Amino acid sequence: MMTQAAIDQTIDNRVSESAAESTFREVDDTDRAIPAIEFRNVTMIFDGRKILNDLSFKVMKGETKIILGGSGCGKSTTIKLVLGLLKPDSGSILLDGEDITDYNEGQMMRVRKKLGMIFQEGALFDSLSVYENVAFKLHEQGVPEEEVEGEVRRMLRFVNLEDAIEKMPAELSGGMRRRVGIARALVGDPKIVLFDEPTAGLDPPTARTICELAMKLRDLEDVSSIFVTHEMNNVEYLTSEYAVVNEAGEVVFEKEGEKLCLINSKVLMMREGKIIFSGTDETLRKAEDPYIHRFLRGH
Amino acid sequence: MNLIFRFLFELQEMSLLAARAVAGLVRKPRYLPETIAQMDYVGVGSLTIIVLTGFFTGGVLTLQTYQTLASYGAVDQLGYLVSISLVRELGPVLSALMVTGRVVSAISAELGSMVVSEQIDAMRALGTDPIRKLVAPRITALVITLPLLTLITDVMGMVGGWTVSTFLFGLPSSMFINSVKDGITSDDIIGGIIKPLFFAFLMGTIACHKGLKTEGGTVGVGRSTTSAVVMASIIVIIADFILARGLQLILGTQV
Repeated sequence: MMTQAAIDQTIDNRVSESAAESTFREVDDTDRAIPAIEFRNVTMIFDGRKILNDLSFKVMKGETKIILGGSGCGKSTTIKLVLGLLKPDSGSILLDGEDITDYNEGQMMRVRKKLGMIFQEGALFDSLSVYENVAFKLHEQGVPEEEVEGEVRRMLRFVNLEDAIEKMPAELSGGMRRRVGIARALVGDPKIVLFDEPTAGLDPPTARTICELAMKLRDLEDVSSIFVTHEMNNVEYLTSEYAVVNEAGEVVFEKEGEKLCLINSKVLMMREGKIIFSGTDETLRKAEDPYIHRFLRGH
Repeated sequence: MNLIFRFLFELQEMSLLAARAVAGLVRKPRYLPETIAQMDYVGVGSLTIIVLTGFFTGGVLTLQTYQTLASYGAVDQLGYLVSISLVRELGPVLSALMVTGRVVSAISAELGSMVVSEQIDAMRALGTDPIRKLVAPRITALVITLPLLTLITDVMGMVGGWTVSTFLFGLPSSMFINSVKDGITSDDIIGGIIKPLFFAFLMGTIACHKGLKTEGGTVGVGRSTTSAVVMASIIVIIADFILARGLQLILGTQV
């Protein structure tokens, strides 16, 4: 008899591999069969408590993995492990097939260049303006100022905040701070983007805007991402809508219908450091686990 | 046992931080603008408190020792006594303590706030090493500016002493100045400059270590700032004793 973890793992592997196979056939790109992010039996212990317990999952190229769960279930820890900000006690973490588990800080600096991270509160540098925040990575790399300005303006246009270029972080609202955080994370066009509860504490329209940015990245930029959240409306947006460019050249968001079913967004639900569900939003809603039911109902 | 283990662990963490900061100085990028900005904050920004501290310390030293020297008929040694006390001990220690109160607290609070608002994690996520970008410039700025601030404290202390001896006690101006010139040796001055170099390195390391290890939100920032100031102050005083004895042995100065 299979354990719950094994069942979850099987579901996860089957979905991800089949997605990879179909993509492989269509695009004829062997690289796409390699997961962008892969966790293999990752365990993390802190103060004698297992924060993550034998965690295994994959995020394929162009896929968004929504990690759902209550506070303290290990969601944020998971993405900090991807960035190498924390190290696991056992197991391995692979990025584009490269095992980064035992990389030192110097090696991680190289790996982080292909990652973008959006923090919960934006984590903007208080002493720097919006322009300097977004340009931070380019300034560190010694890119000439003329090129920096062009790139910064392009990124701020992407998040609809070009007007705020001269402002200081203290002058921005919560939603604007997150969007600047997104613009900063996207400099250098990373192919893997990590969202750590980017909509927490935001009003619904602003939260929707953040989700739309995540959808644009997924559908138009072919970015793989982990989207950590505990808000069900985020799941609803990300699993049922997609971004396309219409004939007028504008980005619009359409709902999946009977003819089209989005397969590039999967849900992974965690509880006390363990995966209790892995699959699509449709199967999540049909899950029989009482905790999942309570979580979906909100009481 | 737990206390000893924690002390050793913290010592190891601080040593590693200091080693990484020093190693960061020899590799590119070197963050010169950040270092200059920090030197401005630490050095120029501390001038007022350093000038006032030096002047009034020299003044009060003269005020307190005049009567004792007068009873032994050694008033002509007043300048020597004041200047030697300032150059060897009071200048370096008082400057370090004043800078600890102003700069160590600020560094620890700034880095602590950056930790709790995830700015340090964001910096690492953007591929920048916070030790090279934030720690190394701060320690370097302290190491360069504290000896200069100490010299200013020494000079202002002597000015304060001269002012009190001349205008309050009515002693001839040349008596104080000649006593200083005859009494102070180059070894005293060298010793007075070597000490702040060590103090600055220790203060910078403690401030950055405490700031970067902040936990527990804004309450944690307050806790780490207090802890940094207390630890740096105590370490300065302990290091002063060790350095004073070491310099006596190395430079052969009088006990």
